[in-house]
Amino acid sequence: MSEEIIAVKNITKIYGTDGVEIHALRSLNLTIRRGEFTAIAGPSGSGKTTLLNIISGLDRPSEGKVMLAERLLSDMKGNELSDYRRDHIGFIFQSYNLIPVLSARENIEYIMLLQGIGEDERHSRVRSILKEVGMEDMGERRPDQLSGGQQQRVAVARAMVTEPEIILADEPTANLDSSTGAALLGMMRELNERKNMTFLFSTHDPMIMERAKRLVILKDGQVARDETRE
Amino acid sequence: MKLLIKLAWRNVLRNKRRTVLSGLAVGIGLASMIFVDALTAGMLESMIKTATDTLLGHGQIHADGFRDTLAVEKTIKDSETLLNSLHSDDALSAFSPRTVSYTMLSSTAGSEAVLLYGIAPETERNISVLDEAIQKGAYLESSDDDIILIGSKTAEILEVSVGDRMVITVARAYTGELSQDMFRVGGIFHMGIREVDQGLAYISIDKARKLLGLGTAVHEIALRFKSLEMAGDSSLPFWKRYSGNGNEAIGWRELVPQLDSVIKMSAVSTGITMFLVFGIVALSIMNSLFMSLYERMFEFGILRAIGTRPVRLASIILLEAVSLSWISILIGVMLGYGVIQFFSVYGIDYRGIEFADITITEFLYPVMNIKQFTVFPFVIMLFSIIAAVYPAVFAARLTPAHAMRRSM
Repeated sequence: MSEEIIAVKNITKIYGTDGVEIHALRSLNLTIRRGEFTAIAGPSGSGKTTLLNIISGLDRPSEGKVMLAERLLSDMKGNELSDYRRDHIGFIFQSYNLIPVLSARENIEYIMLLQGIGEDERHSRVRSILKEVGMEDMGERRPDQLSGGQQQRVAVARAMVTEPEIILADEPTANLDSSTGAALLGMMRELNERKNMTFLFSTHDPMIMERAKRLVILKDGQVARDETRE
Repeated sequence: MKLLIKLAWRNVLRNKRRTVLSGLAVGIGLASMIFVDALTAGMLESMIKTATDTLLGHGQIHADGFRDTLAVEKTIKDSETLLNSLHSDDALSAFSPRTVSYTMLSSTAGSEAVLLYGIAPETERNISVLDEAIQKGAYLESSDDDIILIGSKTAEILEVSVGDRMVITVARAYTGELSQDMFRVGGIFHMGIREVDQGLAYISIDKARKLLGLGTAVHEIALRFKSLEMAGDSSLPFWKRYSGNGNEAIGWRELVPQLDSVIKMSAVSTGITMFLVFGIVALSIMNSLFMSLYERMFEFGILRAIGTRPVRLASIILLEAVSLSWISILIGVMLGYGVIQFFSVYGIDYRGIEFADITITEFLYPVMNIKQFTVFPFVIMLFSIIAAVYPAVFAARLTPAHAMRRSM
């Protein structure tokens, strides 16, 4: 059995709005292993994005704990948490998640600059990753000069370039047409298999649910179904 | 850092219309500060020039207490030695001795009390603009023994013109006896200042000494320094060197204390105006940054999510403020320079307006100085950075999930 990379233990998340408490997650438990290609699905308001936000340290749980690569996320604060996300997690959000004033190359390079990687190394990695996502000729284009699918390819490249432990993708195909979405998914699946990278999606997209190796269905903030496919 | 600067610049240029409008608002604020300061400097310079060139000179030497009473007996102590040492004083470019006494001027039409100056015509040219202010007739010559120069208003009141005769009555020194003499009007001057044109008259110093029974003594030595700044410097050793032993040497700041007060007051009012204008500038920049921040909330969430530290996010906002301030400074400096250049050619007509007992006699021209193009832009940048602190802290405190939710 492969190494456990994420352990969500007894997580509850309560949002309070005007005195009304909303339970986004209720005592949820989940374990993700290295190399998994997991889709978390469920109706709107089932807690998919909240779960992803808590796993990545973008949000904090009201109760429970999250272990990421054997580190307790709740122990980390401020810069340490920022650095941890930078070094261990890759993010892909819905469309429009690139920095609009930076070119595709600069968007990918940005995270390596934060890591303090030297210029030559950065340029070499950017060239290589752009080639990998089939965007080698479009490095100097700004996001508004790219199609939705191309932007998401750049987002995948940005998420992967530092070779993080896990890539979290929040509805990555939501704003793409079906053929572009399928191509993007194919690319991520191929990377998962070839590089044994761990992917965790939150999605509504039946295509992702169908092609995921593991499908977790959330309902009312709890795991309603968890199935692994071969 | 290079990428952060690039990011900040591109963000500022992202919404060009807003950047241009903010830059214009701040730039116009800066340009107006530059212009107001230049105009104030020009006005003060004109007032100082009017005060010093008309009569006073840059400074004066008197016997102690003379200025309070204008008593004829209060002549400068050891004036001949003093005049000799002034010849070799490096600080001065010119000086001229004078006698000063109250006198009664009489013509066939009436009498008028004036202040009679005995002057050395050749050296007086280097101190005051009297020779240039002669409207009718001619300026005094050293040999003119019975010539008097009177102001245009006095001539009008006493109904005299060039060539007419007048009688001068003065009280002689020490005895108080009245002394009279007949003079011919040699010239009529017009300075454009009522008190001068009506209240002063000039004769040669030799004749004045005889009339007043002063021998070789003088009441006043008017001074012109190599620069006006030197004369305004109260710490200049010159003042100490020629003060004491019954004499006092003072600069224009003491001679016209109301002018000194105006200068101090204008510095305070410039400071207050600067604070208000730059305060508005700061709010404008803060507003612009907040608008931009709210527009980009999702983007900030992404930046935080992918590992940008809070302090780095705050740095982006601060760098954006600096970038915006540079654009504003460029606009402001160019605009300010242009407006000053325009009015330096055409001037502003404030002639005849009296302020702090000094009548402005010439067109006002703004005076450019290095402070306007260094200190003011620096203050703009400083205020911009201060104004950016709040939005920067706000951005730094954003939690990524919250930022991304707020933008939805």
